[in-house]
Amino acid sequence: MGDSRTAAQAEKLSARRSRMLPFLAVIYLGQQYSYFSSLDRAPAIDHLRIGAWAVMSTALLVVLITGGAFLRSAQVRATINDETSRAHRSDALGWGFVVAMVTGIALYVIRSGIVGEREAIHLIVSLGIATALFRFGFLERRAMRDA
Amino acid sequence: MPERLANRLKDARTELGLTQAELAELCLVTRKTINTVENGVFVPSTMLALRLAAALNEPVERLFWLEQ
Repeated sequence: MGDSRTAAQAEKLSARRSRMLPFLAVIYLGQQYSYFSSLDRAPAIDHLRIGAWAVMSTALLVVLITGGAFLRSAQVRATINDETSRAHRSDALGWGFVVAMVTGIALYVIRSGIVGEREAIHLIVSLGIATALFRFGFLERRAMRDA
Repeated sequence: MPERLANRLKDARTELGLTQAELAELCLVTRKTINTVENGVFVPSTMLALRLAAALNEPVERLFWLEQ
């Protein structure tokens, strides 16, 4: 049996996470816009942007795979990542995978010189992660509706 | 015709005067899980179905059944 403090904390965190993830996806996609809008820049700035993108992509992927809330107790984490959340995460990661694959296939078919290999990988990963974030946020918010 | 898992979770919960949040707390899940199970959107695992049945003092087969 649970205790009410853990339950209240888990409810609050779960609601916050469902609001935050689509917002993070928008910020993440905004970051990609700035990357693609100025491809010819100094190497130092380029390294910084690539590093920032790699760190943010890894962080978002870790949150998507684990459910986040690392600083909370094991019981709070287990409650936020209950079976509905795990099912939603699994569904969202599936959507992210499909979008990444479709993007990869499209870029392979287009095969234009406009998109270099680094940019192609950037697009595939970014669209895959952003789709998974949007989908997870959507499913979580829909489940909370009328709750 | 595909089968679906029907349930009388909401009735059993309200008979005991429990809110979704209280039942969620008893079963160590969030309120959205109770909500989606009650609405038939989410099919619970056997473990959760048994926990719900224990929390509501009902045999699991009285809470869940298959429907065409």
